[in-house]
Amino acid sequence: MTRAEAFSDREVAMCQVARLVEDGRTYWAAGGGTPLYSVLLGKKLYAPEAQYITEDGVIAPEPMLPFEPMMTMVASRAVYRALAWGTMNSAGIHAQLGYMDYGVLNTLQVDQHGNINSTFLGEYGGAGRRFGGPGGADTIAACCWRTILITDQERRKFVREVDFISSPGFLDGTPGARERAGLPEGTGPWRVVTPWAMYDYAPRRLRLMARVPWVTVDEILAECEWKPLVADEVQVLEPPTEEELHLLRTELDVRGQTTDAAGSWITWDGEKYIRA
Amino acid sequence: MTLSPSSSRQIEILRQGSGAYHPVDPDGFRHYVREHKNRALQPRLMTAREAVDRFVADGDYLTYECNYLMRGPNAVFHEIIRQGKKDLWIAGKFTYVDVALLVDAGCASKIDCGFFLSAPAVDRALKEGRLQVYEYSNVIMTLRIQAGAMGLPFLPVRSFGGTTGFDHSGAKLISDPYTGDPITIVPALNPDVAVIHVHQADIYGNARIFGTGISDVEAAMASRKVIISAEEIVDTEEIRRNPGATSIPYYAVDAVVSSPFGSYPGTCPGYYGSDPEGVFEVFRAVMGNGVPAYLDKWVRPFETFEDMLEQQVGQAKLDAMRANEVVKEGYSA
Repeated sequence: MTRAEAFSDREVAMCQVARLVEDGRTYWAAGGGTPLYSVLLGKKLYAPEAQYITEDGVIAPEPMLPFEPMMTMVASRAVYRALAWGTMNSAGIHAQLGYMDYGVLNTLQVDQHGNINSTFLGEYGGAGRRFGGPGGADTIAACCWRTILITDQERRKFVREVDFISSPGFLDGTPGARERAGLPEGTGPWRVVTPWAMYDYAPRRLRLMARVPWVTVDEILAECEWKPLVADEVQVLEPPTEEELHLLRTELDVRGQTTDAAGSWITWDGEKYIRA
Repeated sequence: MTLSPSSSRQIEILRQGSGAYHPVDPDGFRHYVREHKNRALQPRLMTAREAVDRFVADGDYLTYECNYLMRGPNAVFHEIIRQGKKDLWIAGKFTYVDVALLVDAGCASKIDCGFFLSAPAVDRALKEGRLQVYEYSNVIMTLRIQAGAMGLPFLPVRSFGGTTGFDHSGAKLISDPYTGDPITIVPALNPDVAVIHVHQADIYGNARIFGTGISDVEAAMASRKVIISAEEIVDTEEIRRNPGATSIPYYAVDAVVSSPFGSYPGTCPGYYGSDPEGVFEVFRAVMGNGVPAYLDKWVRPFETFEDMLEQQVGQAKLDAMRANEVVKEGYSA
């Protein structure tokens, strides 16, 4: 594995999620985009026996890569060589039954208890901005045993309380809050991954557990509207490798590098990584 | 019979959303089926124009399966816009540009949200009070349709509790009389009309869908009126040759529309790939206030979807879309 010398924020986050992927586990990847690419990257490089499921009930496909633009589900290349084809209800019901180990999601906004907003920024129904809604993420966040959330490290995204809970985290953070709301017991948020940092929950409240080498803990905290807990020892994450980036760029996130969502570029100047 | 303490649990409503929902009426649905659904094996083949004219009414609750980009029922969709249907209530699950097209075209005034592309047209309609959104999620919407397809009034579900969407929906949190634990229930959804694009159908409506889907079969069974558009019209003998491949039985179907390339510009898996230019064009239109111009170019000038394909897309491009669809495994009976 060779440490890479130039990559984007977006690529950093996907590589970190890929390294969390475990063999022999099932992953329900929300929508297309970064959750799907991250799981596929992890499966191809680190955990070949990890399997993934998509919202249209596809189980363990071997997609023909790269995907066509915007065709990461339902299309023939995306569902190619699956073990089973299903429907949205089959995916949702299998999650209700406990077959989904991990859910992988991205979102607009997350709060201290891991609640997710993908519906509305601002006071609901007021002057704020409408977004697309939870899609499959509500069921993923409710019914997968563990949820991994991918988002950007920005103040407006790390808030004390989300404006709208589209998909449930630990709700108000009290013990048993999810069960009292009718959600399956023992489920919930597990990690939040940003281009700068990784968080776990201690318990039911976000805690900064790791950072990338090119940002400090203080810089991360400055990009949180509220201050998360901080682990006694914040680990330092490994930068992306050339192998990871090659796969991402040639087969998975082929178009993602050229969009606004790529974020800043990070480069190695011979002594250290520098964020542009 | 005397109830023991554990079996005498009361059903209590612990919390409920305030959102309006399409009326729940399973017996009304059964009566509708008895009176209006044709159980005779009689042809239902007609044009998209006739199907939409007869079976889509202003104010209907509409569900369509898949979306504009992937096995969407786009021929019928165009016809709905062309006929200027009004005040539709849309099941906005696993949808993309479609909701913005319908809203900006003036066809839709209510959305049950699972997911749709939030576009300037939708935002504007919301702020001007021309559009009302009720909050669900994709799976909650398909489970509501599942409940409707089972002839039930509601269904318990293991997600959606605790969300803000719950408070703006028709869901309720109750104490389960069997376990005593809290459980969310959601109202069954029996849409007035479902529009579903399939790979093959016979003239009676026996339909085959190859590949994955969202809730095609559930939507067909749950809806009062069902319009099927099909890539291929096949002989009923072909249906009888492999009954296990029938996704939707004829008696659920009111209209069959022959519609080759009916998902353009999206893909119909196994039959043709998408037209990326066409996909980007509708995406750009929706995200950039370009819906009226888009409809004036792609929908309104044409008598039929076939005319649009012939004059605006052209055979060469359609042939290329077919050639690009290299995956065939799994897309035949």
